[in-house]
Amino acid sequence: MKKIHIHDVSLRDGSHAISHQLSKEQIISYCIAANNAGIATMEVGHGNGIGASSIQVGISKLTDEEMLTIAKRNLTTTKLAIHVMPGFATINKDLKKAFDWGVDLVRVACHCTEADITEKHISFARERGKEAIGALMMTHMASKETLLEEALKMQSYGAEGVVLYDSAGAYLPRDVKDKINILVANLNIPVGFHAHNNLGLAIANSLAAVECGAQIIDGAMRGFGAGAGNAQLEVLVAVLQKLEYETGISLYKVMDAAEITQEKIIQEIPTINNISIISGLSGVFSGFAKHVARIAKENELDPRDIFIELGKRKVVAGQEDLIVEVAIELKKNISTTKSK
Amino acid sequence: MLKMRKKLKVAILGTGNIGTDLLIKILRSDYLECSYFVGRNFLSKGMSKAINLGVRVSDKSIEFLKSNPKLYDLVFDATTASEHIKHAIIFKEFNKIVIDLTPAKVGKLCVPSVNLSEVIHFNNINTITCGGQASIPLAFVLGKVHPNTEYIEVISAIASKSAGPGTRANLDEYVETTEAGIIQFSKCQKAKVMLILNPAIPCIDMQTTIQATIKDPNMDLITFEINKMVANIQKYVPGYHLLVPPTYEGGRLIITVKVKGLGDYLPSYAGNLDIINCAAIAIAEEFSKAKLK
Amino acid sequence: MEKKQIDFLHKDCADATSRSLKILDELKNQKLLIVGGTGFIGSWIAELIAYLNDNYQFNTSLVILARNIDSFKEGKNHLASRKDFQYISQDIRNINELPRDISYIIHAAASPDNRNHVSNPLETISTITKGTDNLIDSAFKLPYLKKFQYLSSGQVYGKSKSRNGLITESDFGPLDCNKVTAIYPEAKRLAEATCCAYSSQYKLPIVIARPFSFIGPYQSLSKPWAINNFINDALNNTTIRIIGNGEPIRSYMYPADLAVWLLKILISGKINTAYNVGSPYGISLKDVSKIIMNIAQSNATIDIRFNNSDMSRYVPDTTLCEKDLGLQINYNIEDTIRRSIAWFKL
Repeated sequence: MKKIHIHDVSLRDGSHAISHQLSKEQIISYCIAANNAGIATMEVGHGNGIGASSIQVGISKLTDEEMLTIAKRNLTTTKLAIHVMPGFATINKDLKKAFDWGVDLVRVACHCTEADITEKHISFARERGKEAIGALMMTHMASKETLLEEALKMQSYGAEGVVLYDSAGAYLPRDVKDKINILVANLNIPVGFHAHNNLGLAIANSLAAVECGAQIIDGAMRGFGAGAGNAQLEVLVAVLQKLEYETGISLYKVMDAAEITQEKIIQEIPTINNISIISGLSGVFSGFAKHVARIAKENELDPRDIFIELGKRKVVAGQEDLIVEVAIELKKNISTTKSK
Repeated sequence: MLKMRKKLKVAILGTGNIGTDLLIKILRSDYLECSYFVGRNFLSKGMSKAINLGVRVSDKSIEFLKSNPKLYDLVFDATTASEHIKHAIIFKEFNKIVIDLTPAKVGKLCVPSVNLSEVIHFNNINTITCGGQASIPLAFVLGKVHPNTEYIEVISAIASKSAGPGTRANLDEYVETTEAGIIQFSKCQKAKVMLILNPAIPCIDMQTTIQATIKDPNMDLITFEINKMVANIQKYVPGYHLLVPPTYEGGRLIITVKVKGLGDYLPSYAGNLDIINCAAIAIAEEFSKAKLK
Repeated sequence: MEKKQIDFLHKDCADATSRSLKILDELKNQKLLIVGGTGFIGSWIAELIAYLNDNYQFNTSLVILARNIDSFKEGKNHLASRKDFQYISQDIRNINELPRDISYIIHAAASPDNRNHVSNPLETISTITKGTDNLIDSAFKLPYLKKFQYLSSGQVYGKSKSRNGLITESDFGPLDCNKVTAIYPEAKRLAEATCCAYSSQYKLPIVIARPFSFIGPYQSLSKPWAINNFINDALNNTTIRIIGNGEPIRSYMYPADLAVWLLKILISGKINTAYNVGSPYGISLKDVSKIIMNIAQSNATIDIRFNNSDMSRYVPDTTLCEKDLGLQINYNIEDTIRRSIAWFKL
């Protein structure tokens, strides 16, 4: 039976959905449940990763240290992972400490065309004997050839896998196949896929990736993640079981964990609302959703217009400050049209 | 008469893109004269450009400047941080002023619109980082208007094409240096700096947003002071523009500026590199004005 | 460097020279230039020359040229202050004139760190191709030059088509020149072609060595290369992670052998000829990790994960060196690993 490694991003991507307000109690109960369900690796932290708590992308309720040390204390077999974006987090300020707090695995992430900024962080993790996986974000914005180039760079830096992120939930299954195929054919390390559900395709896209040879699939309990959420983890387990893939995760227990997540953490189960559809179509980072909603409301604008404009500007993850600029611009245009 | 003015003799060490762009700017300056353009290889593009422009050149690098101290009063060091650490000792020995464009941070940090008059009493001046040049003046204003400012955050987005392998390999250094600069100049308690590379084509201009948590901000005064500061910066960085004026939104103060490069030798999308060079020139001109009164 | 480390290297040099003293005889009273002499290979050549001078009165003078001499000297006091060593700090692309009395040159300039190759591919190409051209051009003017050795790479073979799994010097396979990972081997190919051109056009005495894989002193365990990580993980008693099926075959030569081989190829290698340098004894990643565990008496566990169908082999056929130059492997894989682990434990 072929093995698929399911990587749990609930407590990291899910942070976007609750504006990074994870509490101690939530982390504890989640970690116990995930550990019990046989989850092999799980991320904890701010939605944009370690060292990202900021006005720009949202201030976390707990510090990185609090989140990670609490999580570590409550995990026995599940490995503790973090998401780290060079340019946001540095080795000295963040990565070194994370390892001291017990982090086992790092996803070193960058915009999909900028892999060379991950060299230092991946190298550092490997030098410390930790696992390092390369994460290419917003991959709908680059061609498969470019993605292969960038993935090869990460492989050269010592990444033990490369995961393609559909951060905007913009993929169709055929895009997934196209891109995963070329990576699987040319890399010596495993390939992964991270889905978002803006267009209702998170599970379908994840399966497409698996069928093309992806061996790492990201999921979140009840889909708990940015925007319309991620691939629903317990559904992934069920579907992969039906397709006779081995995930090492107990279906009943993962369902129990999902139940706990729903009760204790998720304020609102991710759904595909109008905003997420537009966000997916315009290819904007899912983490923008909450910020856009707030700023649209304050400025009495249609959030969809903001998303479309952001999409036109080809914004990348972390450029949340542009939302205000776009809002001011749109407002100006509306008033000039009105005055005409 | 300006035309009769004696110009300060400056040398440029490092003939890459930064050094060559500096050269073009110096050739335009009323206060500076490039006495030597110094590198390692006559075949480099910068060298051939300088030779074509009729500038005297040497390929003996620091050795040349060491053996000809009389040929220059001030040096722009556009090599690398590790090299500058060695150069700094030599220039100190010869009592030369050096403007260090590398991230070595040996000397006094300078943002011309903030502490120009102060730095001319120092011999080694460092231009911090591009994000620092763009944001520190604004952070300085916030700190001045609201001395109790707790936290300032700076995020810059630059065109991917404008970030060379050196920048990419040293993102951490950029972040940490800029943070230290923000805290030093604004006197806020905490700062956070982020950098984003955006690969969009056509290339984006450098854009820097500064956000701060300030209780009950005096928006009128902040706006007035920021406008004054921006005008001041524009005197030496013509491509510096206020994009989002001071705006209070969701409990935060936000200001965004855009920096378009002059496109002298560096491409115009490299506003991030241009602003550093503009600052370096402004500093050198200040020395010229002070020394050759 | 600490005394116990220096003693360790001296022991290796003693073993190496006891077996090969005669074949290195021609180095006596010569001036040897090593370009890019601060890396792994350069450091070993320097150790061996120093040893030959101190113990067998070789009276060989060594010129070490590299971009960053200071960093080389920092950790190596025992070499930095030697009177028979001369240092030149320069980028290979900017060399103009060289000391006139040089009789042998080893060109070892180029970082083998594949992280640099992909992060700064233009610099990689430039150092290898322009650097090689510029160096040979300068070497051309040396009146006493007996031999110029270019250190290429086993990677020039691309996807080798060797039949028995051992790559001979003519087993060239395809390289996809339109991939970022092909930049280093493509540049090395062009550098070899440049050597060939100089030797054809100006009859310069050039010989080429193509190094494969090595493990031992002067290497860093933090490099993201399989065996380096395996040893690191074994010494730290953590988990040795083998990504893939563990079946790819590699071979590892001990650097004391490497240094002797390179010097011998320099002295006696046929002009216009390329020689493979490495161990011909292939071993799978799975098996090498087991040997490491045994020798290190480690409590680490081996985790083979993410199955794939990688059955690649990267093992040189070294018949040419053995037959033409009488060279042999003195450290088998167990010796190599035993000695390496002993070094890394110091």
